[in-house]
Amino acid sequence: MNTTAQTHINYYGNKPDDEVTSCGSKRQPTSRAHAARELYFEAKSSVSIEFPYWYTRRWEALDGEIPIVRRAEALKAGFEHLTPVIYPGELLTMGKASYLRGSYPMPWLSEAFFMAAEDDLYKEAQESGKLTADSFTTMGKGGGNVTKSAGNVISIAGKFGLRLEELPAMLEVAKKWKNKSVDDVGHKYEQLVPGYKEKEALMRSVICMFDSGYTLPQGREVMNYYYPLQFGIDGIIQNCHDRIAEVAGYPDMDRIYFYKAVILTLEGIKHWIVNYAAEADFLASIETEARQKTEYLEMAERLTWISANPPRSFHDALQMLWIFHVAVLNEDAISGLSPGRVGQVLYPFWQRDMKNGVIDREKSLELLECMRIKFTEIDCFASMGVVGGVLSGNTFNNLCLGGLLKDGTSAANELEILILEAGITCDTPQPTLSLLYDEKLPEEFLLKGIECTKTGTGYPAWINNQVAMEFLLGNYGHEGLHLEEARAWAIGGCLETSPGSWMPLELDHEIHWIPGGSAPATSVGVHFLNLPKLLEVVIFNGMDMRTGQRIFPPHGYNLDDYAEIWQAFKDYFSRACHVLTLANNIQHDAWRKISPSLVNSMLKPDCLTKGKDIGQMGCRYNTTFNIETCGTTNLVNSLGSMKKNIFTEHNYSLDEYRKAILANFGYKTAKETGSWSLIDQVPGEDHHLWKKIHRQSLDAPKFGNDNPFVDNILKEWEEWFCKMAHNYRSLYDQPMYACQISVSTHGPMGAVTLAGPDGRLSGTTFSDGSVSAYPGTDKNGPYALFNSATCWNHAESQNSQLNMKIHPSVVKGREGSRKFLELIRAYLRKGGFHVQFNIVDSRMLKQAQADPDKYRSLLVRVAGFTQYWVELGKQIQDEVISRTEYEEF
Amino acid sequence: MEDLFCKDCTFYLPVDVFKGICKLSKEKISPDKPLCESGKQIPKCRFCKSYTAEKEYLGKCQGTILAYPDMIASKCADFQWNNQN
Repeated sequence: MNTTAQTHINYYGNKPDDEVTSCGSKRQPTSRAHAARELYFEAKSSVSIEFPYWYTRRWEALDGEIPIVRRAEALKAGFEHLTPVIYPGELLTMGKASYLRGSYPMPWLSEAFFMAAEDDLYKEAQESGKLTADSFTTMGKGGGNVTKSAGNVISIAGKFGLRLEELPAMLEVAKKWKNKSVDDVGHKYEQLVPGYKEKEALMRSVICMFDSGYTLPQGREVMNYYYPLQFGIDGIIQNCHDRIAEVAGYPDMDRIYFYKAVILTLEGIKHWIVNYAAEADFLASIETEARQKTEYLEMAERLTWISANPPRSFHDALQMLWIFHVAVLNEDAISGLSPGRVGQVLYPFWQRDMKNGVIDREKSLELLECMRIKFTEIDCFASMGVVGGVLSGNTFNNLCLGGLLKDGTSAANELEILILEAGITCDTPQPTLSLLYDEKLPEEFLLKGIECTKTGTGYPAWINNQVAMEFLLGNYGHEGLHLEEARAWAIGGCLETSPGSWMPLELDHEIHWIPGGSAPATSVGVHFLNLPKLLEVVIFNGMDMRTGQRIFPPHGYNLDDYAEIWQAFKDYFSRACHVLTLANNIQHDAWRKISPSLVNSMLKPDCLTKGKDIGQMGCRYNTTFNIETCGTTNLVNSLGSMKKNIFTEHNYSLDEYRKAILANFGYKTAKETGSWSLIDQVPGEDHHLWKKIHRQSLDAPKFGNDNPFVDNILKEWEEWFCKMAHNYRSLYDQPMYACQISVSTHGPMGAVTLAGPDGRLSGTTFSDGSVSAYPGTDKNGPYALFNSATCWNHAESQNSQLNMKIHPSVVKGREGSRKFLELIRAYLRKGGFHVQFNIVDSRMLKQAQADPDKYRSLLVRVAGFTQYWVELGKQIQDEVISRTEYEEF
Repeated sequence: MEDLFCKDCTFYLPVDVFKGICKLSKEKISPDKPLCESGKQIPKCRFCKSYTAEKEYLGKCQGTILAYPDMIASKCADFQWNNQN
């Protein structure tokens, strides 16, 4: 059973009332990292228009230039003009913009959402359904979010602050991109897709959450730092000059423009680094404190060196890695740009420094803590629906640990132990950690992972290395990916399995095979499909009953038996995938033409070899578009309830269900109650009319209890979905695949969905992930949940996602650690792909919701990411609170 | 001589849109605080010879290119102090 206090469980989750238990005493970071984190806590998300101003100015000046060269010149101008900001005590420096949590709009991608509501651009975007998700998103009210305009500061998207004196210029710059941005050009041409109006209806009803082509065209992928680490910036530039000499004038001429564009972009990045070096020198000149002065001088020397050359030390290499990470983030709106297996990429540098006495463990830990702070400072400027509704303000820089080396032996190393230690001492949302579990990993390493997860940070998530490799071999085998190469994989973004390659890093005449990302964004395409809402549309014969708008033509079934419900659902789902795939392919085509990737392209194998950017399939692996879903568990539970109550036991007719759904089972709406979880919903006056049908809906078998009646529905769905996804072709003419993560979309997508046959009430948040139980419905303990979750083959999908909440008392002490590891092993050995944990007392979350100021540093795991509690919207907070809390295994 | 603020100072280190750190005193300060005696103007468009004001918060660079007065121009190759400021 899941708890010692069974009486506290109701249908909708837990309401424990004993004393709050914490995760125990937390270790503290070094004083340097502590000070940096305190400054971070004070900092608000801030927007500057320096980069977009210079980008646009240069772009305008080069009308008629070859597009990719014009883009490179614009990027170069942006980098060159960024004002350097170096904060006291930093060992690693540089950032996206001239604020601690700085970011900026990229109007060349999309300019409508940050215009004033009365502006034509905004109105047009609203009409096409592009901004509907914004209206159903709740933003976090605390932490670094600028939720309201005040004084000289304007709030944008409920999160970002902009200085009033920059507002008119931002709007003017944005207007220059009207009819030229990826969004506008893509929109113009996507309307040529037959049935396009259906796509708009899908967006307006939030059956589909957002378009990826102009919102987050890159990300959900793994960085590759090999080229700068091995050759340095000047080395890459020289390589491009050599390549130009080889290809100039020969067929396939686009290659020379690509190489020229890479050179220009790198010149901009060099200039940017040199500007920081000059600022460090300036700060040293006015610094009175000796140690800080020395550090500024060392920083200046380091930056000057790596502005041209490959790194000489671990510190150099980490700084170089960070610079290129930010440089990619500055070329596009990106979430989920994962640094990958950093502990293995940097291990040769670290090992050499340790051997030569250049660094010790204490200094290494301090540097790794500083790295955590820098990654946490990353913000992504996007619309409210995207930054709040999808990302919850998170940026998903996933750092992976463990897995296997090229030769198939354990890849865990001492530096990775230190990375885990830094994750414990300096608990911050970024980079989140994922442990690539393999039976070959040493026990000591796994127990260190357990120690970290137990601290309540939500990381590392535990990932099945073998399942991921099986997926990769299946998905990329036709592009030449083989077993050895499959071992180089890592998680991109929150949970996107991404292919990698082994790169031959030569240090001191010795080759070290380091892993790095080898594909572009592995999660673009159809993003996200709201499964319970689609079932609702089936039940109401093509209508969205919330808005009264027709989404699809009538399906033509009487829905007299379960098979017809299932068939109608598959028909509508397929129809949605078809039109959304085509429209998104056009948007991404606009992206690659208007805003091609240059920084990321130069880093990814084999773009430099082929002379092609990512958009031209320069990468080694390109089968990277997917169909993402949300609300799997609610769909399955609803189908189970209908199968039982309508078609097996004949307790109710479908018409009776329709009426109950429209009446919200006699409850007030979530909006009226101000709560988004079922736990706090309030019955209305006529609740008694619907009490019986609601009770029987809730009593119907639920996923997560090892009950074949409902688990078989999940199995049937998964086996169909994972195969049918391959029927759709991406922009790169490759088959698409299934992706099953909710991120934060289960909040806004639940908000637009009426009550369901599973007993879920209107507007409430869905179950998170794809194999997480609906809160309070998994009553047979974790092992029953594992059996349900693994009733299908997870290697058929890019991912599956299971979140669990465990009371801290269960995993206390060494014995608790062993039990915890065995629990995780049990799930992964059954074939589960991913499991992650909140080790937290739900009462603490309730307290934090009531009194957020006292919980500024509280971290929780949502769905593939860790975030500060105070920066989460209430939809997600309510869902996390209501999750089943296991008090024993 | 127009009013100058901390945000116009070369020693101002912005943390966010509400506050920054004085590089000299290391204290947290508001960008809208009047410039102190130790302050030193940072190059900005509105201090540049090439800048012409047009309306509030907007102007032109070299007579034709969109510009705004508060943009830091320390990395602009064409910046020239306008001594009339």
